[in-house]
Amino acid sequence: MPAPARSTACEGDGRRRALKKDFLFVAIFWALLTAVLELVVVPWDPFPLAAAKEAAIVDDAFKLLMVLGIPVFAFVVVAVVYSAVRFRQKGEPTQDGPAIHGPRSVIFTWLAITTALTILVIITPGVTGILELRAHANEPPDLLVQVQGGRWFWRVTYPEYGVSSTRELVLPVDQRVRFEVSAMDVLHSFWIPAFRIKIDAVPGKITTTHATPDTLATYDDDINMRIQCAELCGLGHNLMRLPVRVVTQEEFQAWIADRSPK
Amino acid sequence: MAFLPLIKGVVFAAIGFLLGASATAGVRTLMHLDAWSIEPVVTMGYVLALVGWLLGIGVWDYWAREWLGLKPKEQVHIGWTRFLRFNTDHKVIGVQYLVTMLAIMLLAGLLAMLMRVELAAPGETIMNANTFNTTMSLHGIMMVAVAVATVMGGFANFLVPLMIGAEDVAFPRLNTLSYWIVPPVAVLLLATPLLGGFDSGWTAYPPLSVINASGQLLFLLAFLTFGFSSILGGLNFLATIMMLRAPGMTWGRLPIFVWSIFAAALISLTATQSVALGLLTVILDRVAGTSFYSAPNGGNAILYEHIFWFYSHPAVYIMILPAFGIVLEMIAHFSRKPLFAYKWVVGSFLLVVGLSFLVWAHHLFTSGMSDYLHLPFMVTTELISIPTGMVFLSGLGTIWQGRLWLRTPMLFALGFLMNFVIGGVTGIFLADVATDIHLQDTYFVVAHFHYTIMGGEIFAIVGALYYWFPKISGRMYAERLGVLHFWWLFLSYNVTFIAMFWVGILGMPRRVADYQPDMAGANLVVSFSAFVLGASFLVFAGNFLYSWLKGPLASANPWKARTLEWQTSSPPPLENFPSEPAVLGSPYDYGVPGAIHARLAPAGGSDGLTPQA
Repeated sequence: MPAPARSTACEGDGRRRALKKDFLFVAIFWALLTAVLELVVVPWDPFPLAAAKEAAIVDDAFKLLMVLGIPVFAFVVVAVVYSAVRFRQKGEPTQDGPAIHGPRSVIFTWLAITTALTILVIITPGVTGILELRAHANEPPDLLVQVQGGRWFWRVTYPEYGVSSTRELVLPVDQRVRFEVSAMDVLHSFWIPAFRIKIDAVPGKITTTHATPDTLATYDDDINMRIQCAELCGLGHNLMRLPVRVVTQEEFQAWIADRSPK
Repeated sequence: MAFLPLIKGVVFAAIGFLLGASATAGVRTLMHLDAWSIEPVVTMGYVLALVGWLLGIGVWDYWAREWLGLKPKEQVHIGWTRFLRFNTDHKVIGVQYLVTMLAIMLLAGLLAMLMRVELAAPGETIMNANTFNTTMSLHGIMMVAVAVATVMGGFANFLVPLMIGAEDVAFPRLNTLSYWIVPPVAVLLLATPLLGGFDSGWTAYPPLSVINASGQLLFLLAFLTFGFSSILGGLNFLATIMMLRAPGMTWGRLPIFVWSIFAAALISLTATQSVALGLLTVILDRVAGTSFYSAPNGGNAILYEHIFWFYSHPAVYIMILPAFGIVLEMIAHFSRKPLFAYKWVVGSFLLVVGLSFLVWAHHLFTSGMSDYLHLPFMVTTELISIPTGMVFLSGLGTIWQGRLWLRTPMLFALGFLMNFVIGGVTGIFLADVATDIHLQDTYFVVAHFHYTIMGGEIFAIVGALYYWFPKISGRMYAERLGVLHFWWLFLSYNVTFIAMFWVGILGMPRRVADYQPDMAGANLVVSFSAFVLGASFLVFAGNFLYSWLKGPLASANPWKARTLEWQTSSPPPLENFPSEPAVLGSPYDYGVPGAIHARLAPAGGSDGLTPQA
């Protein structure tokens, strides 16, 4: 049986000094790892094409969470690896560690820090993000598009013009569009990756979402310019796509005029 | 004849099925309906088949014999055949659960390998979309079952009575029942391809799950049966932990693993009833023509999502709370230090239980539910970081200045901390409404939950297998192979799932058999690394199979740990301890001079009390 560690006053002093050094090392490694990871992440752009104003909000939020998450990740990694290297015993330990049960000061400090982090760096950006996304939800849109999902196709309708299509979604640039989404049979989900918007299509219900395309682009340029079904709907789920094309106001009017009932 | 009870069970199940099926056909004839309509016939056939199976196994014997005034049958307590028949010993049931669940885990892992073969290159490689959907759905539900029942059924059964100094669980026969309804679940799931498979994932959202192939019905019946087992298990562990603790085993001296099982059992008992309701209503929509989820007939599809996640989010804490318990348990004993902030961790577990019931709608941010629900559910979800942070403080505080013994179980415990922090941090991206709108239903979600459940819980489970293997089998595993397995798994695991985050950010939807060519590179990395990961389990399986048969005999306490299960022989005798242990202090007082967790009196005498440090 390992005997409990006993220490004289002198050894205690030595241990305190060693401990201070351990804390210092962990702090240094933590700062280093955090700095290295931040240097990698901050200039990194992992996102697919962003072609709508909403996309910037989402990408910025993602970036912010990544930047804020790194110190937390780095702290755990450094604390675990440092402890495993520094405190490992060769073979079976012959004595017990110090009987530290968890001093209140440490626990309260930790609680205060984690609570503050949760409120400041998790909840606050989340709430501001929601408010930003919803800021204009009730304003009348520039254009209304009705979207119907059915197994396995999308139909888009422009009720103001009496035009509809199952071949592509054409949108004028810089116009705020309201999508009214519905489903004919089972759940689908209306997702345009390049716009970073997604809302389920639910039978018996109309769901809405908004986007303001701000880049001229087509599906042929970038595959993220598509409506993609994102809710498993059976055999053809993956192929339930519709190309999206963002065009100038004039091109849009011409496209509509071509298809309008004469 | 070793297999006689199983054969009897199968025969009785077949008779039950025929009875149920023909009775249904008969009633349908009287109603002038198509007599042999497959779904009603299968449903009623299954209900009686389940009763027949249990009858054949002998689960009803005790109650029936007592009622009829007959002598109860003697149970077989020696030899490997006891694992193949009705046995109320919690250690036998624990092993039955563990072996069943590990077999299911390896099978579901094989399905994952098949999926990665299909996804290694764009286009159709080995299976069509329908086969892929069934494979994916089966992988999902089987792994969910593994994640729920390996600990709650396997480890909890074997260990909780030992760790609290009891002879058995509170309701041993109920415990046997909750195990023996699990094999039919596996049979039903494996039979789904015979009826067209099911393509709705493990979430089974209607209306799709009401109108698709009949394989879906088998899935629903399987999940419902499994839920029943889970509810009974939860009830049993609550009663056991409340009523059967040895003298002196106060709530403040309970090992942290037992606390984690207590917390998870609270969720099992209560939340599971909600998903049972959801599954039952989908079955009724399919079989009895009700319209809970059919919009044209007044139903509401989003209703199911709420009911389903009201269980299924708390259910992830049925998976992860015991993992926290296992990891902290191993960390304390392998650091030879008291568990840091023990009482605060217990409080955190209970706080997680409470919060877990208030976060479900974060799965519904893009479902079309009312917008004003987004903010409160985002906030409750993110608050879980605080109790989870306390678990990390406990883990890190315990290893700090410890005397670390880096045996295989400890490596897995430390690996858990590293993986789970990634799972936790990436969870914030999904709790945050702005980012979730884009990431929902992409591979980012797949990577995130694999980090929490596989990198988290499965790492804890594998660590626990190494840790308690000597106690369960009485033999030691091969340490070098264990260490090899850890590094092999840890590295390949992280490459596979980090790459999956990348695929998700690029915008690859989950649950698809094919993808655009521009994602080919990333997917090939994931697939290749996944095969390497899969191969690591050959080392694992080989090590345990060989060691169970030929490994060196283990001593009672190879880790010199202080909890009660290590103070009895390996494997423990039928009655667990020669006499009832007397608990005198905390199980974690390492380094406290003179501290004793418990005293065990040897059988048949009071002299020579054996204290142990």
